[in-house]
Amino acid sequence: MRRAPAVVIAGAAGFAGIVAMHGAGSPSMLSGSGSSAPVSSPPTTTGPSTTPTVVPTGTPRTAVGTSENYGYGVLGVKVTVRGSRITDVSVATIRTAEQYSQQLAQQVIPLLRNEVLSAQSARINGISGATYTSEAYAYSVQAALDTLGVK
Amino acid sequence: MSSLTFDPTYAPHSGRHRRPSVISRPGAVPRPVLADVAVVLAGLGFGACIALAVTAESWKQFSAPGGVAMFLGNLTGLAGTYLALVMVLLVSRIPVVERVLGQDKLLASHRRLAPWPISLIVAHAVLLTFAYAEAARTGVFGQIGAFIRSYPDMLTATIALVVMVAVAITSVYSIRRRFPREMWWAVHLFMYLALALAFAHEIALGPSFVGHPLTRFVWSLLWASSAGLVLVYRFGLPLFRTFRHRLEVVEVHPEGPGTVSVICRGRNLDRLAVAGGQFFEWRFLTKGMWWQAHPFSLSARPRPPFLRITVKGIGDYSSAVARLRPGTRVAIEGPYGAFTAHARRRSKVALIAGGIGVTAIRSLLEDLPRDCDPVVILRASSAEELALASEVAELVRHRKGRVHELVGSRSEVRVDRLSELVPDLANRDVYVSGPEGFVDRVVSTALRLGVPKDSLHFEVYSL
Amino acid sequence: MISHAEEVMGTVVSFHVEPGECPVGDARAAVAAACARLHELDDIFSTWKPASPMSLFRVGRVRLEDAPAEIALVLRLCEEAKALSQGWFDPWAMPGGFDPTGLVKGWATEQALAILRLAGVEAAIVNGGGDVAVLGLPKDAHGWRIGIRHPWRPEALACVLETDRAVATSGCYERGPHLIDPRNGRMLFRTASATVVGSGLPLCDALATALVVADDDGPELARSLPGYEAYIIRADGTESATEGIVFATEVVS
Repeated sequence: MRRAPAVVIAGAAGFAGIVAMHGAGSPSMLSGSGSSAPVSSPPTTTGPSTTPTVVPTGTPRTAVGTSENYGYGVLGVKVTVRGSRITDVSVATIRTAEQYSQQLAQQVIPLLRNEVLSAQSARINGISGATYTSEAYAYSVQAALDTLGVK
Repeated sequence: MSSLTFDPTYAPHSGRHRRPSVISRPGAVPRPVLADVAVVLAGLGFGACIALAVTAESWKQFSAPGGVAMFLGNLTGLAGTYLALVMVLLVSRIPVVERVLGQDKLLASHRRLAPWPISLIVAHAVLLTFAYAEAARTGVFGQIGAFIRSYPDMLTATIALVVMVAVAITSVYSIRRRFPREMWWAVHLFMYLALALAFAHEIALGPSFVGHPLTRFVWSLLWASSAGLVLVYRFGLPLFRTFRHRLEVVEVHPEGPGTVSVICRGRNLDRLAVAGGQFFEWRFLTKGMWWQAHPFSLSARPRPPFLRITVKGIGDYSSAVARLRPGTRVAIEGPYGAFTAHARRRSKVALIAGGIGVTAIRSLLEDLPRDCDPVVILRASSAEELALASEVAELVRHRKGRVHELVGSRSEVRVDRLSELVPDLANRDVYVSGPEGFVDRVVSTALRLGVPKDSLHFEVYSL
Repeated sequence: MISHAEEVMGTVVSFHVEPGECPVGDARAAVAAACARLHELDDIFSTWKPASPMSLFRVGRVRLEDAPAEIALVLRLCEEAKALSQGWFDPWAMPGGFDPTGLVKGWATEQALAILRLAGVEAAIVNGGGDVAVLGLPKDAHGWRIGIRHPWRPEALACVLETDRAVATSGCYERGPHLIDPRNGRMLFRTASATVVGSGLPLCDALATALVVADDDGPELARSLPGYEAYIIRADGTESATEGIVFATEVVS
């Protein structure tokens, strides 16, 4: 098809045009938005190296993290920090145009603490969770801890 | 054997023949650049759609449960729907495009493109179901229920998907050929309904549209315009022409064994712009035939108030044409076809017709100038089957060309004789018209003999 | 370190004991005694056994004065918990009548730990099916590291808390949160998991349950509880914690 090269070039131009128009606005995948550190990493990895029994001082500070473009609007995350510990992470704003989007927003907000900790690496002494039955216990992490004994 | 009403002989500037009192209007001049612009715009739009999908969310979405599936679901939805729009426009018979590309090529592109929008839209539905189920931490069937119950416009979108898939399945060749064409056609029309039903959920739920009024406006405009184009050019214009010209059959007379010419009379035919070689879809409004429309080329330029088609009687329909009664009204769609003198690039031409393909060649000849040095090859199984041969001969003689009649069974006559008969074929514009097998053979031979693609024009007659 | 797992009360109670100065034999005997006590309490409180004193009491076949003293004790604890949780924890509102099971498990676990303390054990952790009671501190550490189960990723942890007090967690780990309140179209943040840290395990237990039921009002309730800390995970993945919650600082791979 002799028009094929023209079509491909036009496609690329259309693509570039939209991206350029969008880049001027809210963050997107291509612009690679960053987010403030407290939001993206859980406190377990970014806490201070001082011992945790240090009594927190200072008044709580609340910061709103970078707004994320999650498709239906803009998601603002609010982080409350006391001393150096994060005590609250919640959704500050969902700016969307329509009522339904709020509903959809729930589906797409990612789990903010999205690192999955494994029991082995966390060197825990025990696990607290909703009650497990005896059967469930057998497969649970607590069972692994119990059999290992010495920690 | 000549018609009582239609005088097919007309050689301009010749004193020996009667000039018709009213000159018919030449076909509108196709402008290839407009078709190029249309195709390029389509490509531009597609690129823009992809960009819309890519810029809809930030990259963090990939770490969300179902995030990757969500992104792919949005991408396939946008791309698939855009291509569905292109599909509709391909067969909406917009004159500026149709004149350049030709209805047959547009249909072929429509068929070739078809698997893409269908697969993309099905993938879209599947991917988003999984994505939402993952994000809501629910099962797939629960998610389908949730979509239909609590999301806006999703019930209609689901219905649209079902209709789309049904239409697609019935169009698969092995299934389509089991049913009468009209039944398949009636089902196929439901695709318009499906696209209309699906529109609402795109605007209400698509991440590129929610909260982006400009994007929403452009998308809506695109769809509204396409609907408008379909209504005007696919349905409106044919209706307008039918009523304006009010064609009715006046005479049916035989041209040879199994071949008849149908003469129709109409009003305002001097205003109907037709190029030689073009065809109409003909719908004879009589019992047993009114629900079918068939394409037939005009077998001569219009001689207002008369039009002529010449039909070979193969199959029930064509035989019914032979039995048409005078006074039968006719609805038309057209004129269509890029098989015209406008497509010519060189001064000299070669016209090759197989069987009833001679009709397009016959009317095309009237548009060719005197200095085109036409070489015409007519192929038929027997001498009587060479319909319109005398008319062709007259027209060719007037243009100082030559006619070769190749008669006999296919094994006797080999089209490979082409290079013998037309040694300078590669320097001519070559027009080929006839049944599919014939056209394929001639076209491949012509290409082998060095005819450039741009100078090769063909029209296939389905029997 | 002495470890033991005892199947009782429909779950498994885990013991990890660091005897310290206490002789190992004494420590082991204490663990055995604690297990025996757990079975005793199971016999009294099990609502699965129709002849248990609690089952009879529930249907009114036995009066409070005639029932074992433990029942009256638990009853008082329930009243205290209900008041403390502003009514969100209400064992009287359970289908089938009064059901203190949510609190009994924590209380029984604490009883088991008390036996260990009386025997002279210096440091121990008793985990009654997810309710954790602690004594002392582990070797070379400032607190016990308690992993909180991830609400919807089995085998994973949502976080690690560091504490020297009891920890109880309650949750609805169901799938498919219905996130819209159909009455007014508002979003509901259903609580997937609520953890309470405090000195008394049974009250932590009850309060954790209360926080789950309180849903939207959970965080406010948590802030109003003196001496108790809470950590809440909502179904949409967001979370909140009161000031006193300490997240363990290092994760060693």
